[in-house]
Amino acid sequence: MTGQKRHITLTVNGRPVSADVEPRRLLVDLLREDLGLHGTHIGCEHGVCGTCTVLRDGASIRSCITFAVQADGAEISTVEGLAQGATLHPLQEEFWEKQGLQCGYCTPGMLMRACEIIERNPDPTPEQVREEIASNLCRCTGYQFITEAVVDAAKRMRADSDSTTGAQT
Amino acid sequence: MTIVDRSAPPVRTHKDNRKWVGKSIRRVEDPKFLRGGGGYIADLVTPDMLHVAVLRSPHAHARIAAIDTVAALSAPGVHAVITGARAAALCDPLPDFGPDPANHTWRCLAVDTVRYVGEGVAVVVADDRYLAEDAAALIEVEYEPLDPVVDPERALAEGAPLVHEPLGSNCAYDRTFDFGDVETDFAEADVVIRDRLRWHRSGGQPLETVGAIADFDHATGELTVHTNSLSFTSYLFMVAGTLKIPTNKLDIIPVPAGGSFGSKLFATKPSVIAGMCSREVGRPVVYLEDRVDNMSNCDHHGSDRVYEVELAMMRDGTMRSLKIDTIDDYGAYIQFGVGHHGNALAQVTGPYRIGSVRYRVRAVLTNKNQQGAYRGFGSEVNNWMLEQMVDKAARELGLDPVQVRRQNFVRTFPHFIPTGNVYDSGNYDAVLDQALKLSDYDRWRAEQRRLLEEEGRYIGIGLITAQERSVFSATEFWFWFDEPGAPVTSMPESVTLKVDATGGITATLYSCAFWGNSPETMVAQMVAEEFDVDPYSVSIVYRGSRDGLPATGPGGSRTTVMLAGAVEGATAKIKAKARQAAAHLLEIDPDDLEWVDGGYQVKGVPERRKSLGDIAIALHLFKHSFPEEIESGLEDSKVFDHPYTTMPSADRKDLGVFYPFMGHACHVPVIEVDIETGGVRFLSYAAVHDCGTLVNPRSLAGHIVGGTAQGIGTALYEEFAYDDDGQLQATSFLDYLIPSAMEVPELKIGHAETPSPYTPHGIKGGGEGGRMMAPAALNVAVNDALAPLGVRVTELPMTPDRLLTAIRNARESR
Amino acid sequence: MKPPPFHYAAPSSVAEAVELLVAHAAAEPRVLAGGQSLIPLMNFRLAQPGHLIDLRNVAELDGIRVDGGVLVIGAMTRQSVVERSPEVALTAPLLAEAVGLVAHAPIRNSGTIGGSIAHADPAAELPAVALALDAELVATGPEGTRTIPAAEFLLGPFSTALRPDEILTEIRIPRRGGGHAFVEFARTHGNFALVGVAAQVEIEAGRVARAAIALTGVAPTAIRATAAENALLGAAPGAETIAAAADAAVTGLTPAADLHASAATRVALARSYVHRALERAISRAQDRR
Repeated sequence: MTGQKRHITLTVNGRPVSADVEPRRLLVDLLREDLGLHGTHIGCEHGVCGTCTVLRDGASIRSCITFAVQADGAEISTVEGLAQGATLHPLQEEFWEKQGLQCGYCTPGMLMRACEIIERNPDPTPEQVREEIASNLCRCTGYQFITEAVVDAAKRMRADSDSTTGAQT
Repeated sequence: MTIVDRSAPPVRTHKDNRKWVGKSIRRVEDPKFLRGGGGYIADLVTPDMLHVAVLRSPHAHARIAAIDTVAALSAPGVHAVITGARAAALCDPLPDFGPDPANHTWRCLAVDTVRYVGEGVAVVVADDRYLAEDAAALIEVEYEPLDPVVDPERALAEGAPLVHEPLGSNCAYDRTFDFGDVETDFAEADVVIRDRLRWHRSGGQPLETVGAIADFDHATGELTVHTNSLSFTSYLFMVAGTLKIPTNKLDIIPVPAGGSFGSKLFATKPSVIAGMCSREVGRPVVYLEDRVDNMSNCDHHGSDRVYEVELAMMRDGTMRSLKIDTIDDYGAYIQFGVGHHGNALAQVTGPYRIGSVRYRVRAVLTNKNQQGAYRGFGSEVNNWMLEQMVDKAARELGLDPVQVRRQNFVRTFPHFIPTGNVYDSGNYDAVLDQALKLSDYDRWRAEQRRLLEEEGRYIGIGLITAQERSVFSATEFWFWFDEPGAPVTSMPESVTLKVDATGGITATLYSCAFWGNSPETMVAQMVAEEFDVDPYSVSIVYRGSRDGLPATGPGGSRTTVMLAGAVEGATAKIKAKARQAAAHLLEIDPDDLEWVDGGYQVKGVPERRKSLGDIAIALHLFKHSFPEEIESGLEDSKVFDHPYTTMPSADRKDLGVFYPFMGHACHVPVIEVDIETGGVRFLSYAAVHDCGTLVNPRSLAGHIVGGTAQGIGTALYEEFAYDDDGQLQATSFLDYLIPSAMEVPELKIGHAETPSPYTPHGIKGGGEGGRMMAPAALNVAVNDALAPLGVRVTELPMTPDRLLTAIRNARESR
Repeated sequence: MKPPPFHYAAPSSVAEAVELLVAHAAAEPRVLAGGQSLIPLMNFRLAQPGHLIDLRNVAELDGIRVDGGVLVIGAMTRQSVVERSPEVALTAPLLAEAVGLVAHAPIRNSGTIGGSIAHADPAAELPAVALALDAELVATGPEGTRTIPAAEFLLGPFSTALRPDEILTEIRIPRRGGGHAFVEFARTHGNFALVGVAAQVEIEAGRVARAAIALTGVAPTAIRATAAENALLGAAPGAETIAAAADAAVTGLTPAADLHASAATRVALARSYVHRALERAISRAQDRR
């Protein structure tokens, strides 16, 4: 028999959300089907490929091996929260510029993982980026242009934050 | 008597002042994917749809004695349970281009016998996927296990269990072809290099599985299917036939695919299952394979071959002839026939002047998931085989591996190889020279010696030179048979261009979905080139199959060339009309006009001109400015057929031209083998490709790197291994090892550009090249590293286990 | 690949969690920690627990402290927290090195130290670290709390000394001196290792005073390489000693063959990696003096 539904409240891309979910409902299905956020994709369904990567309280997780009830009270960030209106996030800009995507299916997971990588290390070397994004599989690109995109996005974000700081002083 | 058709299309001259073709512009497709709005098949699922789950066979070979669906039918949320027997009443067999379809019938669900682990035996239709899987677990199937046949060579032995009883054998196809005078060439040769080689099966494994959403309307009898599979327009009648509905009541609409690499080519089963279920329950139904479905039941495992090869050589290194005997394990069905070997025969002699070829192929059926398409479609296996032979020859004859390749290069074009296929153009020396430089080859040779002598490290350099065929014609699927059932000759691609009243251009593509290649960017760049507009201003739309023009979709590295031909053709029609209209507007003879910078102007009088926008608004809104025969609007289409196909000879000693636009590449990986662990690590990797005129160099580079990553997977990591009982052992990504960023090196990429004389702009296809080269190059590299130990590896993937075993065996035999 | 249905509870104390385990014993309840091993198994429907007791709200199980020279880590402490903990780096650098090799960062962001040890995968890093460092595993059940030495905790593949109504609450790791190393051979980065080696070596007066070596992937559980430890004890830590210890470590091993490696290959890998681990651990031990 199916488990009783649980009421959960969480924040998704800065907006409060509540839902009644079966305990077995996977976080990725909550995001995609219940909240209509289709940017988070389903890949291997057993936690290896990283296609379903989202941030929980700033840390990347696999939403295909996370129950929605485990995200109760958490802040979830998905690819839909990256761009601000017409303005793409620096990572999105650099993935576009460097052709860091082909079919685009792994891209949202890669972008969210890259957010965390740059957050923890604002000036990563290409070697560091490779090791860190090894968490996420891409079947198209061979990772070379993704690596370039992440390195250059970090550069762009450092420049942006420098100029912001400069403006304040 | 062999009658050979050597007719060729006219040689083109290409303009050299291109504005957009050749530029690495950002892809026009990308913003939606970057924002998470890709619109993949799963994104189209709505709450009113019902979901399908497939119950898969746990047995490799078994008789289905009974199926009890009572418990499943009464489970919560269940709308239907369809067994194989019921499905056989609802649907005809699936389309099968194999040699003897009536004797190895393939259906969407097994009827009375399961033939591989993962084959579907029943489906559940339920309110959601969770409930569908709950109910599927309640279906009770009584199996009577049969002996499985797993090894392809044992499958050919007398008394082996039969995968298909009606066939009376596990050999679905066996034929030997002689191209040229093989016996004389072998008799005249100084030496014959022999080897036995084994290529195990891998597969595309895109991160998105195959899926279909079907909506059958009982009021109209029409079925609409959205799917991420492709290539339907020309073959719609076969899918319609399977579902037993009129072809003109079926509309298949392509959606972007999250990768394919061949594995979504003509993936009809999910569409048939979804269509069957939708008609049964009268509701829209979605069937999305889950990962286990896709790994075990996708019908798209890659080649799985055993080779016995002989290469006839002269002592000076001249290559004379090849005898190839290959057994290919097709698994339980054979949907594409032996077309994979057509791919091999397109470039069977590589870039070398080899005078004759004997090719025997035996297609064997076993209790495994069947072969389909995987990037290279069998030509990558041939490249690997040939380069291992050339490498072995160089070693045995004491020749330099670079020199022996170079001295045999084809240098005059067009060049017809013994099978009859043509190499349209090339400059293999230029590619090799660039690769030697880019890879720092001489330095690595010195470093290799030093590291072995001083540090005991085993470094290998894997230089290979190989072909990259592009733009297939349909003949390769039927020239195998003296009396083919369907000698199809047309695999067209179509584009409609519409110039609206403001001069805005919309391009419509048919059955040519996005699957990670970039048809939109390619078309946008070509339209921009033709009309002198910004490529980002071009709007691209896709149309479904029913009201679409003839089209084939991606496959065999054909998309860019075929779209270029269609865009060129549609442009010519539009410009012809625009020229007429401009002539009227300017009151001048059309012949006195020339196209300059986005409009027609009077030759020598640049101030007298009409831009495309001027012409378009007139044609749309001011019909009565024009004579009777000029209709309103500015829209036209081109159905572009294969530009260079000739027919095989009746005796099949010449197969005609079927894969004419021949790219070429040289890969040079430098690797180190840790002889204690069998681990392989990259020190350097250079790749130079010549795919004719470049459209978007960075996109092509992306395909080279990505294809190389997949080739690395095939060479070192990926294998759909089955055990002796026919159990699939790699059923998760923990066991089917897709390379991560840490397994793929940074590539140094070089491009050479030798235009094709026969295609628009001189473009050749390049979508598969990386994977066509890397397995061959890595095997050569590993053997180069281990040569001091007397080890030669002849089996892919080269796992640590296989390498350590080979090293152990070499030590023991010393 | 959707998980089967189950009943779910998220208690806020260990006592409450144990009560739930007892109350639902018939439903084959399982404790949910980070879920990074359990949920994939449920997606494949290879695990079908009737009841899941989620410990995410049990605050008392989360945290790292040093108590009288002993590193005490709450079982629900995420692996990524362990990885970045200055206390762990200082007190148990072997654990710090090993935890960074557990899968990939996104898995470690959810996975917990207790979850990994209690899952007892014979290929996993953390049970081997617990074994090598003589960790004590604290379990709470209806009868109260007991302490289980790591050597007695691991019983077989995915099988531990925990009773069905017990919860692993704490990992207590005594501080060790000398040098450490955790090395492993995985076919692809972040995948399960075919073989892993944990080593902690103390050197006094130019001789090995204490050595602990644990192996993954060569037996039904992580195991201590006692013969190799004995070969090292009292010896001068040179190349010959290391080679002898590596030989001793694999003598008598009979690992199971699988898709990725024959028994012979696993033995060869184990010998090579014991060698590498000891070289690194000894070098660090010497640097540290």
